Amino acid sequence: MRALLCLICPLLLFLGCSYLLPFLGIMQLSFTDPVPGIDQYRHVLSDPLTQSVIWRTIRLCVIVTVVSVSCAYVITLLWVRGSPMVRLLTELCIMIPFWISVLSRAFGWLSMLSNRGLLNKWLQNLGLIDSAIQMTRNEFAVVVGMSHYLIPFAVFPLATAMRNVDERVLTAADGMGASRLRVFWQVFLPMTASGIMGATLLVFVFSIGFYVTPALLGGGQSVLIAELIYLWIFQIPQWGVAAAMSVVLMIAVGGILYLLMRRYGEMAK
Amino acid sequence: MQTGMKKEALVSDTTQIEARSVSKTFGKFHALRDVSLKIAEGEFLSLLGPSGSGKTTFLTLLGGYEPATRGQLFLEGQDMTNWPAKQRGFGMVFQGYALFPHLTVAENIAFPLKVQKRGKAAIADRVAQMVEMVGLSGHETKKPGALSGGQQQRVALARALAYEPKVLLLDEPFSALDKNLRGQMQEELRRLHRDLGTTFVFVTHDQEEALALSSRIAIFNHGELQQVGTPDTVYERPANRFTAEFLGDINILSVDDSARGIAGTALELPANVRSFDHVAIRPEHMRLADAGDAIQLPATVRDRVYLGSKSRLLLETRAGEDLMLYLDNGGALQAPEPGADIRVTWETGDSFAL
Amino acid sequence: MNRLRPGLFAKLLTCVVALFLLMPLIAVVPVSFTSRRYLSLPNGDWSWRHYISLFEDPDWGTSLLTSIQVGVLASLLAVLLASAFCIGLWMLRPRFAGLMTGFVLLPMVAPPVVSSLTLYFFLNKLAQWNNLVAYDKLGGVVLAHMVMIVPYAVVVVMVSLSQLDRRMDLAAQSMGASVPTRVFQVILPNIRFGLIGAFFLCFLLSWDEIGVTLFVTSVETITLPRRMWMGLRDNVDPSIAALSVVLICVVTLAIVARAALQFRKARQTG
Repeated sequence: MRALLCLICPLLLFLGCSYLLPFLGIMQLSFTDPVPGIDQYRHVLSDPLTQSVIWRTIRLCVIVTVVSVSCAYVITLLWVRGSPMVRLLTELCIMIPFWISVLSRAFGWLSMLSNRGLLNKWLQNLGLIDSAIQMTRNEFAVVVGMSHYLIPFAVFPLATAMRNVDERVLTAADGMGASRLRVFWQVFLPMTASGIMGATLLVFVFSIGFYVTPALLGGGQSVLIAELIYLWIFQIPQWGVAAAMSVVLMIAVGGILYLLMRRYGEMAK
Repeated sequence: MQTGMKKEALVSDTTQIEARSVSKTFGKFHALRDVSLKIAEGEFLSLLGPSGSGKTTFLTLLGGYEPATRGQLFLEGQDMTNWPAKQRGFGMVFQGYALFPHLTVAENIAFPLKVQKRGKAAIADRVAQMVEMVGLSGHETKKPGALSGGQQQRVALARALAYEPKVLLLDEPFSALDKNLRGQMQEELRRLHRDLGTTFVFVTHDQEEALALSSRIAIFNHGELQQVGTPDTVYERPANRFTAEFLGDINILSVDDSARGIAGTALELPANVRSFDHVAIRPEHMRLADAGDAIQLPATVRDRVYLGSKSRLLLETRAGEDLMLYLDNGGALQAPEPGADIRVTWETGDSFAL
Repeated sequence: MNRLRPGLFAKLLTCVVALFLLMPLIAVVPVSFTSRRYLSLPNGDWSWRHYISLFEDPDWGTSLLTSIQVGVLASLLAVLLASAFCIGLWMLRPRFAGLMTGFVLLPMVAPPVVSSLTLYFFLNKLAQWNNLVAYDKLGGVVLAHMVMIVPYAVVVVMVSLSQLDRRMDLAAQSMGASVPTRVFQVILPNIRFGLIGAFFLCFLLSWDEIGVTLFVTSVETITLPRRMWMGLRDNVDPSIAALSVVLICVVTLAIVARAALQFRKARQTG
C-alpha cells in the first residue's frame, strides 16, 4: 500500500509544484497586479483593443473550425471507406503533415503565399495578375495556416465515428432503393454526427489558444488572444492583465471541454 | 457410487477453513449475504451457482483478494479475516489462466518458487516435477501464447501447485475449453486431487461438472448459500426449489388442500408434506404406471421428443401442471402418442417435499 | 459494396483537400534552393548554399544538440514519472483515480498559451533560487517540456496497462510476490512496447515543442524549433527552408516506409 503510494505521488507532486501552484500564482497575480481587485478583469472585458482581439479570435476560430472540419470530413470519408489503395494515399496525405513541425508548415505557407512565393509566381506566369497580391500578414493567411494545422486533428474523431457506422445499415438503405446521395445525407451523415461534434469542439478548443501559426502568418497584423498575452508579457509588460486573460481563456476552454465530456457521457449512456 | 465413496474416504474430519457469517457488499449491492461454511482438509468443494450468485465473490474473499464487509474467516483455527492474499498462501487458478505471457512455461511455474527465494537447483527440480505431473514435458521453453487452451490450463495448474499450497482455489478453470477437452481436464483434476490430497475449492456454474468432481457442493444464489452437501444429497434431497431446479430437470407438483393427493388423485406423499407444499420428483424416477402400481397419477401426453436412445414425454396433469419423463426407446412398449391419456407412477421414497 | 464506396465527386473534393495539405510542404523545396538571402524562388540560379550553411553554421549544430538533450532527458523523466503513476494507479485503484488522472492530463487540454505563461512564471521564480532549473536554462526547458509531454506519456502507458489482464497481477500477488517483484517482473515486461512508444511520442513532441519553449527561453538555451522561429520572425531566412526540406524528407520516408510495411502485411494476411 505504502509502496504503491510511492509510485503514484511523484507525478502528482511534480505537477502540483510546477503546474498547479504556479497557475494559482497566476490567478493571484490577476487579482493583485498592478492594483488589487478586479481591475485587470475589467480591462480584459472592456478595453476596446482587447475586445477587438477577442472578437477577431472568435470569428477566425469559427471560420477555421468550419473549414478544417469540412475538409477533414471529405478526406476521412475516403480514408475510412475508400479502396485499399485510396486509403493508403489519403493516410499519407493526413499523416505526413501531421508529423511535420508546425514551424515548417507555417514556413511552407510563407513560401507559398508571400509576394515572391510560388502562388504569386504561378499567377503572374499565367498572366492572371500583373503585380503580386498580398496574401500573407493578414487574416486570410492565418485562416489558411491554422486550418492546415488542424485538419489532421479533426480527422481522428471523425474516423472513429465513421468506423463505427454499421456497414449493414448502409447496405440496407441501399437495398431499399435509396439513392447514393440520400444514403449519405439521411443515413451516413446523421450517424457520424457525434464525430462531427467532437471534431468541431476539439478544433475550436485547439484554435482558440493558438499562438505560433497566427503570429508567423499574421505578421503582427491580425493579433489573436494568445499573441496578445505574449505581447503583454514580453513587449508592454502588463502581467496582471495577461494573467487575467489567461484565467478567462482557461475558464472558456474548461467550459467547452465540460460540454464535450457531458455530451459524450450522454451518448455513452 | 464407488468413486463417491473413495472421495468420501479422502475427506478428513478436521475443519481447515471456516467462514462465519461472511458478507460482502459493493455499494448497495449485496454480493454475499451472511455465508457460514466449513471446509474440511483435503476435500474437493465446488461452489456452484448461476452468474452473479456470489460464488466467485466468496472465492475472492477466501483467497484474500477482497476484504469481507462483515464476518470472519478462519484458517486452521486462526483468524485470517484481515490477512492479505500472500499471507494465506493459497494457490489460485484464475479464469482465463492469468499466465505471464512474457515468461516460458518453465519460468511461469518457477515464478512462485523464485518469489519464495528457493535455491536454484531446488527450483529446477520442482519445475521438472510439476511439468511431468501435468504432462507438459517438451513444452518447457514455449511461451503461453504458443500453447493450446488445455495446455495453458495445465501450466496454470502446475504454477498454482508448484509451491505446495495447503488450499487450491479454482475460478471456473474450464469455462474457456471446448466440451471434449473439458471432460479430459476434469479427469486430470480428479487425479491431481487424489494424488496430492490438497484441499480444492472449485467455482463453476456447470452442474454436471460440480456433480462429477466434488466431494461436496455448496450452492449459491443471490449472494446466499442455499445448501451444502455431497453430490447425491444435493441432487436427490435438495433443500429448496432453487437447488432442485438448478441441479437438473425436475417435476414439481402442487399438493391438494387436503394434503392427501395431487390434482384430485389420492396417493401416498412423503411423510412431511403439508397442504401448501409441493412434491418434487426427478424425471428419471418417474415412469408410466402398470396396473399394480400403488401411485397412479392421470396425465395427458402433450408432446414426445425423440432423443435417440430415449424419448422425452411432456405431460400435463389434470390440474394443468407440466410433467416430464423419459422412456427407453429400446423397450417393447409402444410410446404413447400426443393426446393420449396415461398414468404415471414413482416410488414414494424418490419424491420429496419442497 | 462497391456502390457504397465514395464516388467521383468525393474523390475530386479529396484531391483538392490533399493538394491543400501537401502544397506548403512542396512549396518549401524550390525556396530552399534560392541563391539569395531572403525568401524567394530560384530564377534559374539553383544553389545549395542554404543546405551548406546548415552544416557550416555552428549555431544549427548547437541547437540540434540542445534539442536532442532536452528531448531525451524530458522524455525519459516523463515516461518514468508517468509509468510509476499509471502502474500505481492500476495496482491500487484508489478512490479518486479519475480525479488524479484528470489532474495529470491538465497540461494537455489547457490552452498552450496558458501553460506557457504558467511555466514562464514558475521558471522565473526558480531562477531566484538556482541556476540550473530556471528560465533560459537547459534544466528549465527540460522541466517545461516534461510538464507538457507527461500527459501524453500517461495516456499511452494507461492504454497499454488497460490491455493487461488484471488477474495476472492477482496471480503474482497470490504467490506472495512483493510490490517490486510485481512491478518489475510482471507488469513492466508486459507493457515494454507501450513504454517504448510513450518515449518516442514524448521525444517527438519535445522535439517539435515551440509554444512553451518561446516563453521559457531567450538567448542561452536555444532548441531547434526556437532557432527556426528566430529565423522566421525577423527576416525570413531560407536556411529554414533547407532545414524544413530535410525534416519533411525524414518524416515522409518514415511514414511511407511504415505504410508500405503495413500495406504489405495487410495484403499477405488479408
